[in-house]
Amino acid sequence: MKKVLSILLTLMMALSVAPFAAQASDHSSGVEDPKGIIFEHLGDTYGWAAPFSHSTYIPLPIIVRDCNGDWHVFSSARVEHGATYDGFKISSEGEYKGKLVGTDANGAEYRPLDISITKNVAALFISALVVVLCVMSIYRWYKKNPLKAPRKGTAFLELIVEFVYSSVVRPTLGKNAKKFGPYLLTVFFLILIMNLLGLIVIFPGGANLTGNIAVTLVLALFTFFITNVFGTKHYWKEVFWPDVPLWLKFPLPIMPMIELFGLFTKPAALTIRLFANMMGGHIIVLVLTLLIFIFGAFGAAAMGVTTVVSVAFSLFMLLLDTLVSFIQAFVFTMLSALFISMAQEGHGEEI
Amino acid sequence: MELFSPDFGLIFWMFLTVLLLVVLLGKFAWPFIVKTLEERADLIDKGVEYAQDAKEQLENAQKEAAKYVTEAQKQQAEILREAAKMKTQIIEEAKEAAAVEAKKVMDAAKLSIEQARKESEMQFRSEVSQFALQIAEKVVRKDLADDKSQAELVDKLLNEVETKN
Repeated sequence: MKKVLSILLTLMMALSVAPFAAQASDHSSGVEDPKGIIFEHLGDTYGWAAPFSHSTYIPLPIIVRDCNGDWHVFSSARVEHGATYDGFKISSEGEYKGKLVGTDANGAEYRPLDISITKNVAALFISALVVVLCVMSIYRWYKKNPLKAPRKGTAFLELIVEFVYSSVVRPTLGKNAKKFGPYLLTVFFLILIMNLLGLIVIFPGGANLTGNIAVTLVLALFTFFITNVFGTKHYWKEVFWPDVPLWLKFPLPIMPMIELFGLFTKPAALTIRLFANMMGGHIIVLVLTLLIFIFGAFGAAAMGVTTVVSVAFSLFMLLLDTLVSFIQAFVFTMLSALFISMAQEGHGEEI
Repeated sequence: MELFSPDFGLIFWMFLTVLLLVVLLGKFAWPFIVKTLEERADLIDKGVEYAQDAKEQLENAQKEAAKYVTEAQKQQAEILREAAKMKTQIIEEAKEAAAVEAKKVMDAAKLSIEQARKESEMQFRSEVSQFALQIAEKVVRKDLADDKSQAELVDKLLNEVETKN
């Protein structure tokens, strides 16, 4: 194992040093805008960079509604490299940098209603598809042999389902497990797949989905709505008329205010935790990789050393991120289950 | 910054996708999977329980069998002892009976011997007396060849009878 690892490392070093050493002699400065590169990788784009290329993009559909209320659907290839199509172009600077902007009758730039299938949305669809395939593989196995343990990949998936369901969902929710289990399992698998696909550098992966606040926000909002829509009377009483001394809630509703505030901090915590964790992992790997090029400016020797160190650290970070992918999906599911179960309190006492 | 300001398009698609996934999987896949998982877990639990029960029963049966074996052995020993006792008793009884029988036989033999002896004695006696009578007859016949001596003898005998009375 050690031997294989050392061989792999040497190979990676050789591979990464050779072409970039040549490149470094062309651009003596290395990279001009590391911050821009990092945020380009973390952010969303209208096309999807083809594997191992930075100039060709896999075109994705752009769907926008202009200021007159008309819908426009066209390929992202038409607005590549600053081209204008149908009055739309990708803004290169300013408030809407990197976003599609339209020009209205007065010639002013505006942001149209944009529901394009961007890189992130496409990655989301792929993730959802993978989730469905995973679940279907378990489903099909059970349909075929209901009382036999699955083999190979399906067995691994079943292990995860079993792990999440019997170590989080059932102990936390008790008899409500059947009601909320499907949501929690779906969310767990979706987050896990999105996290893992995000770690793959090229095409089907590479989108920083769970490191995008919109994605985590929607997930947290789902938990928020499920928590409060299915909340019991007891739960709402605890929020507006908690079991504390009267002066804490009567003339000035201090505790109800805090409780009400707590309702919203929970989804916020869910949003930020997943977002920050996954984004952090991506940023570290990106920075470590960029370090090679930044240090490339100081000559081949510095570049070589940085390459070794960066690749080793990147590898370590990616392995760690694989673990974090799982942990964060698990934590999100666990906290969601916890919040939902807190809102289910007193359910048993009412009956 | 784009990262911290959620993009509407992504939110829209994300919402749609998650909703669709939750509804589809939640309606068709998860309940079935969870149900099957639990059923299988139950089956395995039952299997384990059954196996444990079977093991326990087997152990019990083995214990029982061992008990029966020891009991049987005890009984066997008892029977053997009894048999031995009975054997000695029978032998004893047989011996006794034989002794009694032997005694009886002996007694009978003794009796018959006695009888035979007595008979032979009697026979002998009668024979002896016959012999004596014959001898006496012969002697008397010789002595009483003449009348005188016959008279003398009668006289003598009469005297003897008289003196005796």
